[in-house]
Amino acid sequence: MTRTIEFRDALREAMSEEMRRDTRVFLMGEEVAEYQGAYKVSRGMLEEFGPQRVIDTPISETGFAGLGIGAAMSGLRPIIEFMSWSFSLVAADQILNNAPKMLYMSGGQFPTPIVFRGNNGAGGQLGSTHSWCVESLYSNVPGLKMVIPFDAYDAKGLLKTAIRDDNPVFFLESERLLGVKGEVPEDEYLIPFGEATTRRQGGDCSIVSFGRPLYFCLEAAGVLADEGIECDVIDCRTIRPLDIDSIAESVRRTNYCVVVDQSWPFASVGAEVAAQVGEVCFDDLDNHVVRVHSDNVPAPYAYNLEQEMLPNARKIVEAVRAVTYNA
Amino acid sequence: MSIEITMPRLSDTMERGMIIKWNVKEGDAVSAGDSVADIETDKAIMEMQVFDDGHMARIVVPAGETVEVGTLIAVLAEDDEAVEDVAGAVSASMPPASAPAPTPAPAPVAGDGRIKASPVARRLAEEHGINLAGLQGSGPGGRIVKRDVQRAVETGQETVAAVPPSAQPSGTPVTPTPVTASPAPPVTSGLTTAIETIGGLKPGSVPLSNIRQMTARRLVEAKSTIPHYQVTVTFDMDALLGLRSTLNEQLTDQGIKLSLNDFLVRGCALAIHDHPEFNASWGGDHLEIHADVNIGLAIALPPERGGGLVVATIRQADRKSLRTISQDSKHLAEKARTRGLTIEEMADSTFTISNLGMFGVDHFTAIINPPNSAILAVGAALQKPVVRDGELTVGWEMSATLSLDHRIIDGASAARYLATLKQMIENPATLLV
Repeated sequence: MTRTIEFRDALREAMSEEMRRDTRVFLMGEEVAEYQGAYKVSRGMLEEFGPQRVIDTPISETGFAGLGIGAAMSGLRPIIEFMSWSFSLVAADQILNNAPKMLYMSGGQFPTPIVFRGNNGAGGQLGSTHSWCVESLYSNVPGLKMVIPFDAYDAKGLLKTAIRDDNPVFFLESERLLGVKGEVPEDEYLIPFGEATTRRQGGDCSIVSFGRPLYFCLEAAGVLADEGIECDVIDCRTIRPLDIDSIAESVRRTNYCVVVDQSWPFASVGAEVAAQVGEVCFDDLDNHVVRVHSDNVPAPYAYNLEQEMLPNARKIVEAVRAVTYNA
Repeated sequence: MSIEITMPRLSDTMERGMIIKWNVKEGDAVSAGDSVADIETDKAIMEMQVFDDGHMARIVVPAGETVEVGTLIAVLAEDDEAVEDVAGAVSASMPPASAPAPTPAPAPVAGDGRIKASPVARRLAEEHGINLAGLQGSGPGGRIVKRDVQRAVETGQETVAAVPPSAQPSGTPVTPTPVTASPAPPVTSGLTTAIETIGGLKPGSVPLSNIRQMTARRLVEAKSTIPHYQVTVTFDMDALLGLRSTLNEQLTDQGIKLSLNDFLVRGCALAIHDHPEFNASWGGDHLEIHADVNIGLAIALPPERGGGLVVATIRQADRKSLRTISQDSKHLAEKARTRGLTIEEMADSTFTISNLGMFGVDHFTAIINPPNSAILAVGAALQKPVVRDGELTVGWEMSATLSLDHRIIDGASAARYLATLKQMIENPATLLV
């Protein structure tokens, strides 16, 4: 049996199920308890689990991120909610310099099973400092895992896997997707890391993406299909580990690859995927890999400019036409 | 499986190549990397290497013959097959060696002579036995892409001669093999013999090397399409010769010996900074100004290399010291006369110097080397009666004549350039900094 629920409900179900299953799991962050979550993700959780396991914090990301890492090193399994990943930047020393390296630096003594989660990417007219896409910046660090779910089904299955993982997992949600409804089974399920999935099938060009830009990819694929160009739309699901095998399988069929990544182009996940595709699919490519990113500027506040800056469907359509020599 | 070797395209303008000589005989063992033949293109003599181990089963095109790019010239037998079988199969299936092969359509080639094709296009072409040299690319810059190969497959344009089953004793299809080229070691071409046998001014015909034919075509084109005119200047050489002998005395221990030409290369390059039109090319409706000052040096080739003339390029000569210019020009001249220059070593000159001073020539004029805008013809430095400070005395002088493209440079500009150059040559300390 499946039900249709919102993305935010899927997140809550994942956390609640794992907290029922394992008393070491707890949720901590700004407004997660009394206010029921700044985006209502944790609605009802304080009531069920009490203030010992659903904990409101001061506005101090460095403090509560560090507290969480210490708790993880001491045997608990925290879920740390950042209201926005933009706010995690002040906690960079904790989340980048401590959590991912602790197991290595302690010679295997201190695994750090912690999930950092929150909204990532442009929420819509939030301006330059609150519209961060941290995937490229953070995924550069060894020792962490990074998950970017596409819909409610994936959000639940991937978050449950994240909570059970013994490594720091960076779980990147989107404010724009929290209200999107999707079918989710009643029964428990988990989605393993490192397994990409295909969101649309076509043999003429591979479009590789993750998270919210996938919706633009699907929109573009519809336009392109009307022109006779059928696209494979690959959802990476997890950035670290990256399922290059599935991407390569698709590119070997289509001979063309467009990577869509909402972070900036320089030294980005998109650049990494393009490099790996170039390496493993060299003899199968009919053109270089083309990347579609946010433009190389801070996010503008103005609505029209922000739309133009993001990797929208028009840019993706143009990229696919160009890479397949149909421009 | 036997391996087919075809005439490679070794330069961007090469349409046919002459096999100067085969370095292996039929039946000889060859290893990957061996140079099996020396091939003369329109620009240089290159050696052709094989990429496979095996035995030379059959030489299809003998030395001395010129064939189109892409023509089968030899077949290798792989180690596990009998040379006789492969040779027999080839004989049965191939047209006589003298029959001209069908001319392929011009394939897009990059500046270094490579055919531009996407990786998957190359792979598909190999799988279907399509010769990329025969395809027209529809991608950017003429790149051959997947659909071009697919079209060729659909239209049955399979350019590799398959061995008919009836004539094929061991069921071995023939596939093309890639070859690489590098400058060839000294070779003795048939031309030398031809010249020797003519002797004592008897009537006869001397076949021309590709390089000489290409040079001839370019000279005719340059002289008949560029509005040439000449401006001559005489340099007082006393100061420069004095400086040169001082420097050379001090540099003997370092094995450096600066020539007059080295000073001229540096002077001409530096003078261009004040006169950028001397670093320009005619573009029809515009002038193409080049960023790098690359000085070409005309080098005469010895008879054993077929004679003729090549222009070696000293790149960014304006940024090089006399010492570096001297080393570069010695190296290039030596290499041109012995092993031959690569295409890279002859490309991209922006201004050329031709010096016949070493032959005692007083003064001459030269033909512009397109796409240059000018060429400087340099005579010998000679002792002459000169007037200095109102007194008749003996001094060193050297004449140089600039040939110019009047479309790019007018007479007054030429005079101004020569004045700058004269100032440098006669006050040579500036060439040291």
